[in-house]
Amino acid sequence: METGLRFGAPQRGHRSLPGRWRVLALVLVAALLAGLVWTRLAYWQVVRHVDLAASAQAQYREVVELPALRGGIFDRNLKQLVVNTTVYSAFVSPDQVPDNERARVAVALATVLGADAPKVNQILASGKKFAYIARRFSKDKADRLRSMLLPGVGLEQEQQRAYLPGIAGSSLAANLLGFVNYDSQGQYGVEAYYQKQLAGTPGFISSYRDLANREIVLGSHTHQDPVNGSDLVLSLDSNIQYTAEQALADGVKKANAESGSVLIMDPATGAIIAWADYPSYNANDFIHTDPSHFLDNISSSVYEPGSVMKVVTLSGAINAGAITPNMVINDPGFVYVGGYRIYDWDRRNHGNITYTYVLEHSLNVGAMKAMQAEGHANFYNYLQAFGLTKASGIDVAAEDTIPPPLAAQMADSQYATSAFGQGMDVNLIQMLAAINVVANGGKYAQPHVVERIGNNLNPVLLQPQRQVISPATALQMTQMMEQVVQHGSGWMSRVRGFELDQAGKTGTSQIPVNGKYTLDVWSSYVGFLPALHPKFTMIVVMRKPHYPGYQQDWTLNDGYITAAPVWQKIAQQIVVDWRITPDGRG
Amino acid sequence: MINPAHVPERDEAHDLTSTKILTRRRLGAHGVPHAPVLVRRRRTRGFVQVASSVTAERLHLNTFGHAYLGLGAVLIAVLFYLALAAQVTQSSYQITQLQDQQRQLIAEQDQLRYQEVTLQAPAQVQQQAAQSGMQRMPPSKLVPAQPVAINLEAPIGAPPTDQTPLWERALAAIVNKLGVTHDAMAATH
Repeated sequence: METGLRFGAPQRGHRSLPGRWRVLALVLVAALLAGLVWTRLAYWQVVRHVDLAASAQAQYREVVELPALRGGIFDRNLKQLVVNTTVYSAFVSPDQVPDNERARVAVALATVLGADAPKVNQILASGKKFAYIARRFSKDKADRLRSMLLPGVGLEQEQQRAYLPGIAGSSLAANLLGFVNYDSQGQYGVEAYYQKQLAGTPGFISSYRDLANREIVLGSHTHQDPVNGSDLVLSLDSNIQYTAEQALADGVKKANAESGSVLIMDPATGAIIAWADYPSYNANDFIHTDPSHFLDNISSSVYEPGSVMKVVTLSGAINAGAITPNMVINDPGFVYVGGYRIYDWDRRNHGNITYTYVLEHSLNVGAMKAMQAEGHANFYNYLQAFGLTKASGIDVAAEDTIPPPLAAQMADSQYATSAFGQGMDVNLIQMLAAINVVANGGKYAQPHVVERIGNNLNPVLLQPQRQVISPATALQMTQMMEQVVQHGSGWMSRVRGFELDQAGKTGTSQIPVNGKYTLDVWSSYVGFLPALHPKFTMIVVMRKPHYPGYQQDWTLNDGYITAAPVWQKIAQQIVVDWRITPDGRG
Repeated sequence: MINPAHVPERDEAHDLTSTKILTRRRLGAHGVPHAPVLVRRRRTRGFVQVASSVTAERLHLNTFGHAYLGLGAVLIAVLFYLALAAQVTQSSYQITQLQDQQRQLIAEQDQLRYQEVTLQAPAQVQQQAAQSGMQRMPPSKLVPAQPVAINLEAPIGAPPTDQTPLWERALAAIVNKLGVTHDAMAATH
């Protein structure tokens, strides 16, 4: 019995081990499953927390942006140059247009908005939820459309910038102002440069929505008012701007030139009075404009200034004490520099002449001799002081410059050609600001376009002006430039009543293509008036003029024929508009 | 044992124990049995209670009557709520309409402002003037001109006569022919 019992009794040792393992296995499986669930939970609650919270919030919370009103742009007389207008976009919900109404809707949209009727029909038949029919049209059209009570057709209000009309279908000062694209981003010009100040800061209303997507009025709201953009007051004079654009367009057409530019500056402050390019574009219709027209030739392209540069060269040399206006030099018509023989424009032997005569008749040899007299180091220092080695820093987007090589890296021949404005690239702003030093009694006035940002003065106006040359040198150079108008190449710029009281200088330089100079030229004229108390400094540049008869006489493309008359026309109008009187000398 | 003579006489007037306690002490520890505490009932009843009881008394309402009355009250409340909700909806509809109207007025104002600004634009002024038959006087006629010492009609003066010695010119000519040089930038004027 005992034995049987012993043998029949369960053997605990053998049976408990698999049982324990079984329990352990079960626990392990349970733990594994729980772990899986926990891991998944951790994944959703920890890893995906931010995403899920955001998507949940998106369902019950609604944030409506309150757009800030973009700041206006005014000219110096507080005439508005840019206005915010409301435009409309029409959209359809094709699935909400009954079949029997499609034809009526399509005809109405085609009639009012000028949309393509078959295309509209196609959209209506597509069964889509949403499709735009026309973007950004006027309120009149929107009103007409609204009165028709078309099913499934909706209107969307949008803000758009409207620019004043200029000449020949373009808008006024388009290249200076730039435009604002459909995403409310300023493009080019002042609109791009002052994007932050003009745009302001949008506000928002954040509220909760119920299941039916209705706003819970008594729910917690977060509300922040928008901060409207600041208004800009420019130094531009819209009347002068329009005159400049007109005169330039006429001049470009007359000279059969590729393009032209005019820049006018207040000598005392560096404020830009007019900024004209031809051809230009209509900023109100930027969407249908060739993007190549957006680039502004005044700030975004460089040119070789030619003989206008002689004003800088001779001013530096006089200021350094290396030359005087009446110093006599010999000009055989050419000079050897660095293995190159460099000629005067007329290749004539001029004999013994003064530096005043050099400027009057724009002689390269005289300019090179003045540069050699003052020395390379001095010449380079004056290039820097006149602001020709770095960007002007004007407050307009996309200023382009090509700085000259370092002083030590410039070859002798490059110094020589730079003395009369070839072999170095500057933009129009740099060049005008440099010439303006002479008009401003030897001081460099920082060029700028904006006078006021909201209620604040442009900080540039509060900066002291640096003295580049002495007032005495500036006066001497002014007198030399007066001689250019009275006896030299500037005779075509003479403004009636100011013949003895205006200063100027012509410039013509060949355009290099693939490293070689071509017969195409940049021709320019720069000057200021009245000479001793200038009210404006102006530069006119024509690109690739082909004046009638230039095949027989290439000098017809010169600055004195193509650019100076444009300068004269604009100056004459400014004199009348601003009631400028001559100094009464002579 | 404490001598009663040494026990100070109690100055009840200055004792801090309350009068209730003193009474209890005077009457002994087992004194008068406590009277049952009377729970003071609220004398004033709520308006609803009064109104309902008065109504019930007057109307001789039974339980169903009470239920109907309650239901009626709830119905009135619901109707009141609905009327209020309708009013709110109508107001919100009006607000939306007014907002839409305001947007349209702002749009119209924008357009008028643009028209006003455009009318003053130089291009527009000139066009209007031309349409009216007005002609711009040449600016030169407006500037008081003074007689000047220079001949304004004359083109650029002729270059001065060459004063370079003949031998120098001859030398320059020879050098120009023999020199290993390049021509550069002759057109600059």
